[in-house]
Amino acid sequence: MFVQLLANGLVTGSVIALAAAGVSIVYGILRLVNFAYGDYMTFGAFMGILFNVKLDLPIVPAAMLAMAATAVLSVALELVLWRPLRAKSAGFMSLFLVSVGLALVLRHVIYLVAGPQPRTYAVNPYKVYVIGSARLSGAQGIAIVVATIGIVLVGLLIARTGVGRMMRALADDLPLAAIAGVRTGRVILAAWIVSGLLAGLAGVLAGLVQTSFDPQLGFSLLLPIFAAVVMGGIGSVYGALAGGLALGLAMELSTWPELAGGVNPTYKPVVAFAALVCVLLVRPQGLFGRARVV
Amino acid sequence: MTAPILAVRDVVRRFGGLRAVDGASLDVERGSITALIGPNGAGKSTLFNVVSGFLPAEKGSVQFEERRIDGTAAYRIAQRGLVRTFQVPRALTRLSVLDNVLLAAPNHSGERLSGVLLRPARTRAHERNARRRAQELLALVRLEEHTHDYAGVLSGGQRKLLDLARVLMAEPRLVLLDEPMAGVNPTLGRQLLEHVLQLRADEGMTFLFVEHDLDVVMEASDRVIVMNEGRVIATGTPAEVRTDSRVIDAYLGATWST
Amino acid sequence: MSTIASFGFWSFVGIVAGIYTLFALGVQVQFGFAGLLNFGQVAFMGIGAYTMAILVVKEDLNMWIAACCGVALAMLAGVLLGLPTLRLRADYFAITTIAFSEILRYVATNEDRLTGGSQGTINLAGIGRTSQYNSEWQSFLGKVERGLHIGGDAAMLILVWTVALLAVTAIWLMMKTPWGRVLKSIREDEEAVASLGKNVFSYKLQALVVGAALGAIAGLFYAWQFSFFSPDDFAPLLTFFAWMIVILGGLGRAWTVPVGAIVFGVIFAGTRFFDFAPFSLLDSTERAYVRLIVIGVVIIGLMLFRPQGIFGNRKEMVLE
Repeated sequence: MFVQLLANGLVTGSVIALAAAGVSIVYGILRLVNFAYGDYMTFGAFMGILFNVKLDLPIVPAAMLAMAATAVLSVALELVLWRPLRAKSAGFMSLFLVSVGLALVLRHVIYLVAGPQPRTYAVNPYKVYVIGSARLSGAQGIAIVVATIGIVLVGLLIARTGVGRMMRALADDLPLAAIAGVRTGRVILAAWIVSGLLAGLAGVLAGLVQTSFDPQLGFSLLLPIFAAVVMGGIGSVYGALAGGLALGLAMELSTWPELAGGVNPTYKPVVAFAALVCVLLVRPQGLFGRARVV
Repeated sequence: MTAPILAVRDVVRRFGGLRAVDGASLDVERGSITALIGPNGAGKSTLFNVVSGFLPAEKGSVQFEERRIDGTAAYRIAQRGLVRTFQVPRALTRLSVLDNVLLAAPNHSGERLSGVLLRPARTRAHERNARRRAQELLALVRLEEHTHDYAGVLSGGQRKLLDLARVLMAEPRLVLLDEPMAGVNPTLGRQLLEHVLQLRADEGMTFLFVEHDLDVVMEASDRVIVMNEGRVIATGTPAEVRTDSRVIDAYLGATWST
Repeated sequence: MSTIASFGFWSFVGIVAGIYTLFALGVQVQFGFAGLLNFGQVAFMGIGAYTMAILVVKEDLNMWIAACCGVALAMLAGVLLGLPTLRLRADYFAITTIAFSEILRYVATNEDRLTGGSQGTINLAGIGRTSQYNSEWQSFLGKVERGLHIGGDAAMLILVWTVALLAVTAIWLMMKTPWGRVLKSIREDEEAVASLGKNVFSYKLQALVVGAALGAIAGLFYAWQFSFFSPDDFAPLLTFFAWMIVILGGLGRAWTVPVGAIVFGVIFAGTRFFDFAPFSLLDSTERAYVRLIVIGVVIIGLMLFRPQGIFGNRKEMVLE
């Protein structure tokens, strides 16, 4: 049982981790809390349905196309919405509220176009992977492998590549980086592309893991994702990855019956919040965040 | 010999790897006008932040009127009579100039909901008195023509004056002024200095101020404390300090090392 | 279904606007005046409504006393929320407030025996028995109708707006006091205020609690108007509507809230009744989606083109 819960936790956790990384990359550079991120994910998930179910592509190419589509959406919104707002010196609050409005628009356009009925990907439902005493469905197996690869790639991107270095520079001090000659516009676009790719991927994976989903998919995950970002330390991509995994594990393991009966599974998101609050009480800047300098 | 109104002992405060304040100790005598000088980066503003409770000290102690205040919340320190201005003036731009000063009125029953609801007459009286005092202070700093304007229309120098009027409104016993003359025209600066001397004479107010204009320092202060690299390197009268070789080295060193 | 020209429709819009005035006024006090990023305001609405309903049905308490308990409990919840969280940095505080409202919603959905679970207040007396908390309210409403010689809708409209306008006036008066002066300054520069000897934390807590009380009163009227409710009625979406209303009207002024609420009410309810193409091609669920798309677009448009709201002036603009 424990091992099964551990496996489930890693699956959930890695999906949250990827999404949290996507949120963090943008927040680190633009100080934008993108409340519409869940709906970027939903967009990716539904694009996946389009390619996989409607156009009959196998799940892997469908997922990649879905990721690309979400990246395109992400870039389009940056050019049409976020960049003009920044040009008007919109502050943190304005941007957050716009993202709230955007979330409403995206989600309900998806409702309008795709309808509220639940969707499922065309993957073999009978395939089961058995690892020790844990059983993973085909979808879960794919999800955890892909998510792990994704997490490693993101980590490498941030740590090793030129683009990653520039993103870190901008996250540290945007005006300074601009003066130092870094092409901030391009790096910002790169950040949105990566964020969009991650959103698309996390959306498809979440759809796979939940087996069937509707347009509420992304939004229902948004709060655990934000909890992961905050818990990891806002602006730190590694923190977001760690926070996501930690929260996923906490949520699943909390239902373990050995723990005084275990938590009622419907309360799993509550566990996520409780974990977040505990971390913040002990370490207000998050696990990897920097302490506030007055 | 009465105890110093402010006693700082071995205070340490770091930022990341940098020791901004590295074991600073100083005394401020009651009723004195003391200047705190030193090259840029000496730790003066950080020390102000620690003393006034805006930053915790990692080591050391701060005593105000013989009671320890390190670890006490900033607002409580202000209530006890130690107030400060900020290097970059913090005018509340969306309030009127008058409201800015009124905000500082001490012990105003109108600032508690219980006072507003249960003691309306006393609240109105407090407010009337506060208004009168505020207008006197605004006249003092020559801002009375802006009394009802948003503080946002004031220039940098005017905001410094507003800051000064505000701290005086709080009826403090020790005032920490962070570069009070910066951006203020010299004539007005002179008048303010005279008023500071008056306040010291009449009410026994003590002043500790950071200042870069050494002429002002020489002329206005009773005592000078010199900091460099996070420590106090010299204290004494202006004349003593001016000829102290350590002080000269500190300033020359700072100038030549860029 | 009422048509766009009927009094029934417009009084419904008016009642909703009145309830939202109270609800959004709480957000105005918390954010417009004190600068607190409370995104969990809907929780206080739910606490007010549920406490009243539970006490009436399960404990047979007089409805008016139960209503006061609802407000008191919401205020206590505000204190319990604020004590550990108000010292966090602003964005973290915002997230914990959303977490707070979602946790309460989860609890309400799952604790069937206490709250009737996901079916809502119909279940409060137990499975198989429908329950009513509204009877005392209905008889009060009846007295008002007979006394003023008006119908049920009009009576509700008058009652809601009387309370709403009283609340707006009370807040307006409070903000003119020295207490209000301290509150307004906190939004702008907490440290400057602390340096003048004010206990910033205490003022923030008071703003949170006042806002919570207003949210609870809105919840009571919600419960009375709709006769039955469930946890899903108190979703984060409502908090965002309140924020939109406050921004629409303009931050930092009490009387702009009712204006924003009325505009919101018209947008929200009015789109039900567009009978012309392309709306006529949509069924009612689809129109609900369009309604929310319109609201999202309005929020975005506001931020892009008039972030100070209808009545704000650029000098006072606060959205930093």
